[in-house]
Amino acid sequence: MLWRTASVGLIAGLLVVFPPCLAVAQSVNFSVSPAEVRISDLHPRQAAEFEVTIYNSGELARNFTFTTFQPPKERRRQGRDGFPEASWIRFSHPEIEVPANSQANVTVTVAIPPLHKWSNQDWEIWLGVAPESSDVLGVELWVRLLVSTGAGGLNVGLVAGIVTAAVLLISGACFYYRSGHKRRAK
Amino acid sequence: MRADIRGKMRVATVGVILAVMLGLVLCLPALAQDSGTITITMTGLNEISISLNRTDWPLGNVAWNTVYETSPPIEWCTLTVQGNCNVNTFIVGYDAIWIDNPDEYKWTLSNDGSNGEHTYGLWFRISHDTTRGPLGDGYVPITKTQSEFWPYSGGSGSSLSPGDSKKFGLRLLTPTFFYSGRDMRTQITISAVAA
Repeated sequence: MLWRTASVGLIAGLLVVFPPCLAVAQSVNFSVSPAEVRISDLHPRQAAEFEVTIYNSGELARNFTFTTFQPPKERRRQGRDGFPEASWIRFSHPEIEVPANSQANVTVTVAIPPLHKWSNQDWEIWLGVAPESSDVLGVELWVRLLVSTGAGGLNVGLVAGIVTAAVLLISGACFYYRSGHKRRAK
Repeated sequence: MRADIRGKMRVATVGVILAVMLGLVLCLPALAQDSGTITITMTGLNEISISLNRTDWPLGNVAWNTVYETSPPIEWCTLTVQGNCNVNTFIVGYDAIWIDNPDEYKWTLSNDGSNGEHTYGLWFRISHDTTRGPLGDGYVPITKTQSEFWPYSGGSGSSLSPGDSKKFGLRLLTPTFFYSGRDMRTQITISAVAA
């Protein structure tokens, strides 16, 4: 009885298939440049752009997709914090087809929101480039993106603006008061 | 009467000027944020690349609770570093999906290489790496969390340089129970970042 149950189980199990790939085994062959990008003095409210180039050295056209990845602390450059929000990074083409033995450029835009708390920060995030594939093994290449934000110009400007505005308002009030006083004296 | 009108006009004019100046002053901080020098450095014009000499593993029919290994077991695929920069490499696996209806049925990838009902295990082993892994036999579980391929914490190896290569193999442990008659597909991604 035990043998029969086991036999039935084995037969049922054998029906599951990991489909064999009929195509000849193909190697994955592409590269990405640059491997590392450093952006310095990017103030809150500013944006920076750079290009990432994909070289498809294979003999078939491939679709490549771009993603972002927050690496754990131990894999980041020393002194770097995680990038606060991946949505601050945009790709001109999140997916792009690159013909065989060709290259393609994708523009990456990094925009920092206008908040003082994002000043004077050192961040790291990885940009992933991977070809679409239905094979068991796939390859993904990461571009290290290191972003350093500059000093918080927002607060300095705001304070200067408020002080100037206050001086002008006081001057205006004094002028108005003196004009009224002169009129009353006449 | 005329002096009174002149006085009111003067006040109005001064008020308008003050308002305009106030507006300009308040705009200054915003304008200041869009100026300044941003430095973008592409480190050494580096090009990163790794290649795998094979990517398919046609298993065919599989049975419950059974181990399958690539052939040859630990030198089945060769990872070669190309480009012109040293790299650290990582590996991550995913759940196996039913090809006909991925949202309906899957095998969950375990986080320690073990198996269970509808749960399967994946392992890799790098050639000449005989003591790594939880069992000390060189085999390391592949999980859904990116983990080190080469180099790895606690190992003596260093980053891979252009021209370096690593041979490795895979091991699959099927679930103790799964629904039969369904074509399943899994994927493993090997990734690289500049060291």
